[in-house]
Amino acid sequence: MIRHLFKLIWNRRKSNFLLITEIFVSFMVLFAVLSLVIYNYSNYAKPLGFNYDNVWQLSPRPNSDSTALNVQVQEQLLRRIRDFGEVESASLSSSNTPFAFSMMNTSLSYGKTKDLLANFYEVQDDFKDVMQLEVREGRWFGPQDDASRHEPVVINGMLKEKLFGEEEAVGKLIPVNDSTNYLVVGVVDYFRAYSEYNADEPAFFTRINLSKNKDRLWSSLLLRVKPGTGVAFEEKMVKELSGIAKDWTLEVATLEKMRQGKAKLTLVPMIALGLVCGFLIFNVALGLFGVLWYNINKRYAEIGLRRAMGATAGQIYKQFLGEVFVITSFGLLLGCFFAGQFLLLGVFSLSTDIYVLAILSAITLIYILVSCCALYPSRQAAAIHPATALHEE
Amino acid sequence: MLRNYLKIAWKVLLRRKFFTFISLFGISFTLMVLMVATSLFDHAFGPQMPERETDKLLFVNMMRSELEQGTQSGPPSYYFLNRYVRPLETPEQVSINSVYVTVNSYVDNRKLALDLKFADAAFWEILDFNFLEGKPFGKQEVENASRVAVINESTRKQYFGTGEAVGQEIEVDQVKYRVIGVVEDVTVLRLHSYADVWVPITLRSRDFKNNGMHGEYFATIKARKASDIPAIKEEYARMMQQVPIQNPKEVKALHSYAESVLESFARTFLGNGHEDKVGLLYGILAGITLLFMLLPTINLVNINISRIMERSSEIGVRKAFGASSSTIIGQFIVENIFLTLLGGLLGFALSAAVLALINDSGIITYADLGLNLRVFGWGLLLCLVFGLISGVYPAFKMSRLHAVEALKGGSK
Repeated sequence: MIRHLFKLIWNRRKSNFLLITEIFVSFMVLFAVLSLVIYNYSNYAKPLGFNYDNVWQLSPRPNSDSTALNVQVQEQLLRRIRDFGEVESASLSSSNTPFAFSMMNTSLSYGKTKDLLANFYEVQDDFKDVMQLEVREGRWFGPQDDASRHEPVVINGMLKEKLFGEEEAVGKLIPVNDSTNYLVVGVVDYFRAYSEYNADEPAFFTRINLSKNKDRLWSSLLLRVKPGTGVAFEEKMVKELSGIAKDWTLEVATLEKMRQGKAKLTLVPMIALGLVCGFLIFNVALGLFGVLWYNINKRYAEIGLRRAMGATAGQIYKQFLGEVFVITSFGLLLGCFFAGQFLLLGVFSLSTDIYVLAILSAITLIYILVSCCALYPSRQAAAIHPATALHEE
Repeated sequence: MLRNYLKIAWKVLLRRKFFTFISLFGISFTLMVLMVATSLFDHAFGPQMPERETDKLLFVNMMRSELEQGTQSGPPSYYFLNRYVRPLETPEQVSINSVYVTVNSYVDNRKLALDLKFADAAFWEILDFNFLEGKPFGKQEVENASRVAVINESTRKQYFGTGEAVGQEIEVDQVKYRVIGVVEDVTVLRLHSYADVWVPITLRSRDFKNNGMHGEYFATIKARKASDIPAIKEEYARMMQQVPIQNPKEVKALHSYAESVLESFARTFLGNGHEDKVGLLYGILAGITLLFMLLPTINLVNINISRIMERSSEIGVRKAFGASSSTIIGQFIVENIFLTLLGGLLGFALSAAVLALINDSGIITYADLGLNLRVFGWGLLLCLVFGLISGVYPAFKMSRLHAVEALKGGSK
C-alpha cells in the first residue's frame, strides 16, 4: 500500500512539487522560531541564583577630576546609606550589576582549559546579604581576606564545572599573570545576572577592598531595603546624599524595573516573531486545505471507479490521508536534512538537545496541521457514491 | 480590454468565495507585516521630526581608539568635537550636544525618571522641533549658562497637568530650571535628538576641561545642500588624519566618522565599527524580506493554479479563436495584480490598526508610527512585486495548454 502511494505521488510529482516546497519552508520557519523559544524558555527555567526584590541600584556620577576627593565622597556616601534604618545592607559593585546593560569578562586558564571566557563581578563583602546568595561550597568573602596573599574569588557552578570538572575547587589557585593568582574560596550554584533569558555562563566574583584600592571609584552601589519601602524614602535618601555629594548626579533604579526592561528586550521580538510565524502557518493551512479539497474534487472519476470495484469508504479515506502524509514526509525529510546541518555545524552554538527538541516539535506540529487540513476533504471523498461519480463521466 | 479583464476578474473572485478569502487573507497579512516593518525602518532612519532634512544631516557619535591590545570605543569628548569638528569649513552649522543621561525627579511623591540632554544653541537651529509653546534657548542663554530648560509634552503633563508650562519652574535632579519652551515628543529611536528635558550645554562646563578623546558627546552637522555631504565626509577624514595621538605608546590609531544614522548603525553592527557596510545591511534586509514573502507566495501560486484549472475551457475557447500565449499571460497577470491590490488595500487598513496598537502600547518610548506617503509608496511597490511573483508562474503554465486539451477540460 505504501509503495503504491509513493507511486501515485511520484506520477503526479509535478503538481505535488509546490506542496512539498511549501511544507519544507513551513518546517524551516517553525524550526527557527521554536529553537529560539525553546532556548529562551530553557534559560528562563533555570534559577537566577540571587534575589532581586527590594534591591535598589544607585549610580553616583562624580563631577570633578580630583580622585582623592571623589574617593572620600564615595566612602561618606556608603557610610551614610548604611546608617539609614530602612537599608538592610549595601555594597559597592562594578557597573555590571544584575540586569544592567554592562558586561565585563576576562579569559581564565587552568590546567588543560585554555582561555575560557568568564564574566567577573567586583563586589564587597556585603554583596552576599544584598543579593541573598547561597554559597554551596567553601565560604563567602570576609575580613580574613584582607591579609590574603592571593586575590580571593568566589566562582559559580558553571565555572567550576568548566575549569575543575569533578575535582574540589575550593583552595585551588587560578593563575592570572606572573605575580598574581586567584584563590578560590567558595562556590555558588548559579549566578545569571545579565538577564533572565541569558544562558548560564561561567562567572566569578572578585573582592573590593577599600583599604587596598585607594584611588578607585566604583560605578554602582547596590542596597537592599526593608520590604514596603517606597518612593518617599527614595526621595529623602537622594536629598540627603546630594548634600554629601554636591553636584554629583545620583541615579536610583530598582532592580525590578531593570529586570522588566531587560525582559522586554527579549520578549517583544519573540512575541512579534511568534505572531508572524503563527499567521504564516495559519495561512499555509488555509492554502493547503483549499488545494487538497480542489485536488480531491478533480479526482471524482477515479474515486467512483475504485468504489465501484469494491473499495470501502474507509479505504478511500485512508488512501487520501496516506497521500497527504507521504507528501508531507517528503517535505519534512528535506527540511530535516537542512535542519540537521545546523545541528552538525553547531551554528549559533545552541546545545544539541535544543535543536533536536525544536526539530521534533516542528515535525509534530506540521503533521497535526496537515492532518487537520486533510480530514475534511478526505471524508468528502469517502462519502462519494460510485453511481453519481461514474455518471458524471 | 483592461476593463473587460477587470470585469472577468471580479466575477471570478465572486465565484469561489472561500478561495478568494484565502488569497486575500494571505496577501493582506503579508503586506501588513512588511508595511509595519517599513514604517519602523522609516521611523528610525527616514526623515522624521526633528531630523526632517536627513539628506543634509550627518552625525558624529563614535570615537574608536585602536590600542595595542583591543580597542576602546564610545562617544567622543567635548574637547575633540569643539577643537576639531566645530571649525570644519564645508558644513553650514555644527551642533555639539551630550549623550542623554537618565536622572530622577520627585513630584508629589511620584518618581519621574527623565532623560536629560545638554545642548547648544545651534542644536535648535539645525533640527526642526515642533514647539507647542515658548521658544528654544539661544546663544545668550548658553553663554550665561542660564538654568533654563526646554521640556517635551509628556514631561509637561507629568509636572503641570494640562496647564501652561512656560515661565514655571521645574526641579530636575535636585536642580531648579525655568521652563522656556515645550516641544512635541521625540521618539527614542532618534538617539541624537531624543530627550525629555534639554538644557544649555554650558551647565556641564566641567567636562570641557577633559582633553581626552573619549567622552559623552555627539555632534550634529548640517550641510548647506545635499550635494555637499561627500565633501564634508572627505574634509572630516582629512581632519581625522591630522588629529595628534596623545599617547602613541598605547594608541595606534583613531577612527571617527561623520555619517547618517543608517550608516552608523551598519558600521557599528556589521562593520566592527570601522567598515562601511550600508550595502550589506540593505542586502540582509532584502534577503529577509524575500524569505518572508516566500511562503505566502508559494501558497498563492498553489491556489492560483487550482483556480485557473477550473477555467481551462475559457482558455481553450480563447485559444481556439486565436489568442496568443502572451495575451493569455497578460490577462492572468492583470487579474492577479488586481487581486493583490485589493489585498493591499486591506493590508493598509490592517497596518494602520497595528501601528496604532504599537503606539498605544508604549513598547517604543514616544513612538509615533504612521503610514506616510513614503511608506505608502513602498507598500504599493511591494504589492506589485508580490502580484507579479505569484501570478507569472501559473499564467505561464496555463498559457501552454493546447486548445484541444483545454476544451476537453484541462490536463493532468
